[in-house]
Amino acid sequence: MKTRRQFHKLVAATAAGLAAPAILGSKVFAQDKPIRVGASVSLTGPLASTKNGLIGYELWRDDVNAAGGLLGRKVELVMYDDQSSAANVPAIYSKLVDVDACDVLFSPYGANLSAPVMPFIKQRDLFMIGMFGLAGNDVAKHDKFFHSGPWGPNSGRDWARGFFDLAKAQGVKKIAIINADLEFSKNAAKGGAEVAKEYGMEIVFNQSYPPNTSDFSSMIRNINAGDPEAIFIASYPADSTAIIRGVKEIGISDKVKIFGGAMIGPQYGALLSSLGPELNGLVNSHTFVPEPSMQTPAIKGFFDRYTPIAVKQGVDPLGYYIPPFYYVAGQLAAAAIIGSKSVDPAKMAAFLHANSVDTIAGKIAFNEIGDWKERRVLMVQLRGIKGNDLEQFRNPGHQVILDPPSLKTGDLAGPYNKARAS
Amino acid sequence: MKKSSLLFLAGVIIVLALGFLMPWLLRNPFYFFAGYVVLQYVTIATGWNILGGYAGYINFGAAGFFGAGVYLSAFLFTTFGLPLPLCILASGVFGAILGVLMGYLTLRIQGVYFAIATLGLVVVLETIVHNISGLGGASGMAVYGPRPPAWSPGPSQFNFTVMLVIAVASVALARWVEISWIGRGLRAVRASEDAAECSGVPTLRLKLVACALSGAVLAAAGAPYPFYTSFVEPVTAFSLVIGLNAIAMPLIGGTRTWVGPVIGALLLASVQQIATVTISSELNILFVGAVLIAFVAFAPGGISDLFGRNKGRARS
Repeated sequence: MKTRRQFHKLVAATAAGLAAPAILGSKVFAQDKPIRVGASVSLTGPLASTKNGLIGYELWRDDVNAAGGLLGRKVELVMYDDQSSAANVPAIYSKLVDVDACDVLFSPYGANLSAPVMPFIKQRDLFMIGMFGLAGNDVAKHDKFFHSGPWGPNSGRDWARGFFDLAKAQGVKKIAIINADLEFSKNAAKGGAEVAKEYGMEIVFNQSYPPNTSDFSSMIRNINAGDPEAIFIASYPADSTAIIRGVKEIGISDKVKIFGGAMIGPQYGALLSSLGPELNGLVNSHTFVPEPSMQTPAIKGFFDRYTPIAVKQGVDPLGYYIPPFYYVAGQLAAAAIIGSKSVDPAKMAAFLHANSVDTIAGKIAFNEIGDWKERRVLMVQLRGIKGNDLEQFRNPGHQVILDPPSLKTGDLAGPYNKARAS
Repeated sequence: MKKSSLLFLAGVIIVLALGFLMPWLLRNPFYFFAGYVVLQYVTIATGWNILGGYAGYINFGAAGFFGAGVYLSAFLFTTFGLPLPLCILASGVFGAILGVLMGYLTLRIQGVYFAIATLGLVVVLETIVHNISGLGGASGMAVYGPRPPAWSPGPSQFNFTVMLVIAVASVALARWVEISWIGRGLRAVRASEDAAECSGVPTLRLKLVACALSGAVLAAAGAPYPFYTSFVEPVTAFSLVIGLNAIAMPLIGGTRTWVGPVIGALLLASVQQIATVTISSELNILFVGAVLIAFVAFAPGGISDLFGRNKGRARS
C-alpha cells in the first residue's frame, strides 16, 4: 500500500513536473513573444519605386522597440515581396496569418494590390492598416480597416477636389481632362469630371491615352483647340515627364489659369531633379511638403533619419510622398494596441473608431469605414525652381501649399504661362 | 483498355480522392492558397504543351488565353450570376474559339514569326480589356465569389479542389491527345511539316485542333482565378510572367509527353511559391532563368527525357 501511495505521489509529481513548463511557461512565453506585424511590399516589379516605404516601417519598429515595445513585447516585422502582382497577394497574406501568426496586418501598396486581400480580412475579421489604396474599403466596408493615407471620405471621387476648388475660385468655366489608361489616373479623371460637372464647369476635352504614350504634341494641340481655362492631368511618371516637355515644346494657351492635378512623378526626387525649372507653375497633388504649416519636430526627425538610409539604399532621397505614411501606419497600429491594451482585432478597431491618434502627419480621426474623417490631400504649386539641384526641394517656398486652407502657405500664382516663365 | 490507361485512371482516382480529402486533413489554409497556384501552373503548362510541345509551335500568347478565361468567368459570374462550373465551361469554349481564330490567322507562319504573332494576341486582348468599362477597365473588377459548398471547409480549400479537378481533366485531355491519332499527326508536324503534308497528314486541320484544345485548357485555367483573388485587373491577368512560366515549365519537365509539363510545373511552381515567402522574388526569377538555361543547354529534352534516357540505358 505504502508502495502504491509512493507510486501515486511519484506519478503526480512527474505529471506536475512535466506540465509545469507548459502551464507556467506558456504565460511567460506569450508575454515575451514579439508582436508580429505582417505586410507585403512591392520590392520588385512596376511598383518597386514604392519600396522606400519599407524604411518607414523599419524606423517605426526601431523606435517602438527602443522605447520598450508594445505592451512590454517587442515588435517584429514580417515582410514579403509581392512582386507588384495581385496574383501573389492572397497566398502571402494567408502565410502571414496562418503560418506566421501576425497580430497586425498592413495592406500592400495601392488599390489594385489591396483589393485581393479585402475579402480575406473581412472573412477572417482581421485588423488591417491600408497603404495608399484609394477608396480601398468602399466595397468591402470592413469595420477593422483603417487608411494610413490622407485621401479622406468618398475618396474615389473627392481626393483631388482641391484642384477643382482652386479652379472654381479662379472663375474657371471650361476645363480639359486627360488621363493615362491605368487604375489610379483613370479613377482620378473620372472623379475629377464628376466634381467639374458639380461645379458647373464645361469639360471641353476629355481623353485617356495608352500607358506607353510618349508623344503628347497632338493631344496638347487638341487641348489648345478646346480653349480651356484649366487642365486636369492624371498621369504616371513617364507620361508626366513627356507632357511637361510637350507643353514646353508646343506651348499652351495664355488663358490656362491652373495646370496639373493628379500627375504622379513630380512628388519624387528623380523627376523633380530631372525636370527642374520646367516644373514651375505646375499645381499638383501631394501628401507632404516641407512647408512651415506642415513641418513639426516629429516629421523633421523622421526625415533626418530617413534621408541617409534612402541615400545608402539608392531610393528616393526626398521620400515625401510615401515613407512618412508607412511610419504613420505603424503609429496607428501602436496606438490601437496600447489604447486597447490588446492585439484583439475588435478591441483595436473599436479604439481607433473612438479616438483620434497623434502621428507624425498630424492628428487622425476615422469614419466608420476607416477613411480619414478629413481629406488632407495637398495641392501644391511648384515655384522658384532654379537648376536641377534636388536639395532646393528641402527648403520651403518651392512647393507652396494652396489647398487645403488649413495648411495653406500661399496663393495660386497664375496664369500658368506666367507662373511657368517665372 | 490498355494497362497504361488503367494505371493512369487509377492515378487520377487517387489524386482526386486525396484532393477532396486533403482540405479536411490539412487545416492550414495557406497550403491551399499556395497549392492552387501550383495546380494552376500544371494546367497552364499542360495546355501550352498541346500546341508548343506536341506540334512544336512555340506560343507566347498563353497569358492572352489565360486572361480571356479570367475575364469571361468574372464577367459571367458578376453579371449573370452563372455557377462556377458553367463559368469554367464557358471559358474553355471561348478559349477554344479564340485558339481557332488565332490559329487560322497565324499558323501559316512558322518559327519566330508565329511566336511574335501570338505575343501580339496578349497585347491586343489586354488593350481591349483596358478599354471596356463593363470589365472594370484599368481599375479592375471586384469579384466576391460564391460561398463554398458544405463539402469544403473554406473558400481557399474549395478553390484548390476546383483547380485540382481542372488540372486533372487537362492532363487527361493532354494524354488522350498524345496517344490518339491527333498526337501522332502533331508529332509528324513537329518532325517535318512538309514531309507530313506530303504523306497526307492534314497538317493545318491538326494544328487548328491543337490550337483549340490548347486555348480551351489555358482559358479554363484562368476561370477560377477571379474567385481566388476576388479581384481581377488586366496587368496581372495578362502578365507576361504567365507566358514565361507556360514555356519554361514544359521545357524543364519535357515537351514530348504529358508527364513533362506536370513535372516541370510541380517543380518550378513549388519552388517559386517557397522562394516568394522565404528568400526573395528577385532570386526566384533568377532561379527560373538559371534552371531554364541549364536545361536548354544540358538537357534539351527536359527531366522526363533525362529519366527516360537513364531508364533506357539501364535496360540496355
